[in-house]
Amino acid sequence: MRIKVNDLSFSYGQKTILNHLSFSINTGDFLTITGKNGSGKSTFIKCLLKLHKIPNGMIYMDDVDINEIKKYHNIGYVPQKAEFNYEFPITVKEILSTAYQQRTYDQFYKSIVSSLNLNKFYNENINNLSGGQLQRLFIARALLIKPRLLILDEPTVGIDQENVNNLYQILKQLKNEKITIILITHDQEFAKDLYDHLLHLDEDTNYTFTTIGDDKNV
Amino acid sequence: MFNQNFLVFLGFFQDLIKYKNIYVYPIIVGVIIGCLAPLIGSVIVIRRLSFIADTLSHFSLAGVCFGVLLAHQLADTVFENTISPIALGIVFSVIGTLLIEKLRSFYKNYKELSMPIVMSFGAALSGIFIALSGDSSSNITSSLLFGSISIVELKDFIVILVMSLIIIIFIVIFYKKIITLCFDETFAKVSGINVKLLQLLITIILAVFISISMEIVGVLLISSLMIVPVASSILVGKSFKNTCIISVIFSEVSILLGIYFSYTLSVPTGSLIVIFNIVILLFIMIYRNLIKCFKKKNTKQLDYSITIDPNTINENVDEVTEINEEDKEIVKEENLENKE
Repeated sequence: MRIKVNDLSFSYGQKTILNHLSFSINTGDFLTITGKNGSGKSTFIKCLLKLHKIPNGMIYMDDVDINEIKKYHNIGYVPQKAEFNYEFPITVKEILSTAYQQRTYDQFYKSIVSSLNLNKFYNENINNLSGGQLQRLFIARALLIKPRLLILDEPTVGIDQENVNNLYQILKQLKNEKITIILITHDQEFAKDLYDHLLHLDEDTNYTFTTIGDDKNV
Repeated sequence: MFNQNFLVFLGFFQDLIKYKNIYVYPIIVGVIIGCLAPLIGSVIVIRRLSFIADTLSHFSLAGVCFGVLLAHQLADTVFENTISPIALGIVFSVIGTLLIEKLRSFYKNYKELSMPIVMSFGAALSGIFIALSGDSSSNITSSLLFGSISIVELKDFIVILVMSLIIIIFIVIFYKKIITLCFDETFAKVSGINVKLLQLLITIILAVFISISMEIVGVLLISSLMIVPVASSILVGKSFKNTCIISVIFSEVSILLGIYFSYTLSVPTGSLIVIFNIVILLFIMIYRNLIKCFKKKNTKQLDYSITIDPNTINENVDEVTEINEEDKEIVKEENLENKE
């Protein structure tokens, strides 16, 4: 999925968060977004996902203005903190099966479940899971919809080293499959060799967009 | 005493066979509603829409009363048998849904204002229609408030069956999407679900369901029929499916008991169904508390054996060389207290 951001500005009331942001990425590119807390990383994602309203002509997906897209298809999104309804009993298996549109659990499904080590608590109620286990569950759920664009907001927070390595392998494979990936992270060492572009946002609404290999700053 | 009870029990089944039109329809309807109510109730509970059920039931009542009024006005004409109060209830209920949505857009910060407005509007309209339709309808309308098993007629029975079938098909087709929307709206939005349309469909289904269950349970008690079994089952359920199945069982048990005892005691069906539902909820709460107490007791006993065994503490105190004298005193004092 190609994404073009064209002079995007966004503010919460008086406070400007994003100021004249422009860049573009191609299908299969890996974009990493870094920046301090409050620099607008998650806000940018919310604009991209139409969770915040923005004027026409600011973000294009595959050359179509996002405001003209009636509903999104196959965007895998793992938020920093999922606004999930935890009070009603539901198991890991049930959450995964709702995201997976096929009736039978094929090799693809099983490989996702086992690569994120979800087997151990597959039939558990999600109320009993730790923060890291929940994070892995939500990553698996995003992968199961076979996304064309995968957006991960701080996916490594709370996850142990073994599963961070597994996540790296999964991202590497997805990149080979030409899936566009946007990663928001504080951990700049994670998946460093996969980056195609690096977008760094400052608290004072400045930004730098670097394409790895070119080292050409915008 | 036992014989008397048995005779009442037998009488119920004799009447069941004798007046099957009067009893069989409501029992079938009761079983269908008992199955659907907690399923729809689960969605309402998860999406925190419990109050919308009450609002729509009041607006739906206006529709039913309007139907009764129309039937009264059109009596002795060719249209006499064409009016189904339940069908009008469904239409009003859907109008109520649209009214709520419209009103919500006027008040961005006080969205819940739309509910009492529509609810009181429905109640007011009902009052007017009841008054206009005269005395003959007062029996029907009063039983609509608390429910009665004996007013389900053949045409209503068919409306209820068809609507239930539509609701079941809707649930089966959209099962995965409904669950995704209920639990995580953001994920639903980005993964390709038309959230606005699905939300509207769910509310319309809710409106339809409220109208069809109104006669059995009554306007005032419909929301509890949907919510109380779910409230019980989430305390014991282990998974989503498991919780839904348990809530359907609770609901069916209370509906069948409610219908039977409303026959034997001549009390409104809806009231009894809700009472049985609440009794089940109380049992579950007591059961949960007992289990909690039992678990606490077990852990306490475990703690006792580790920390309060005097010999172990003495040994530990001796072993730990770095511990200062003050701490030693405290441990020994505790030790003595425990011995006492």
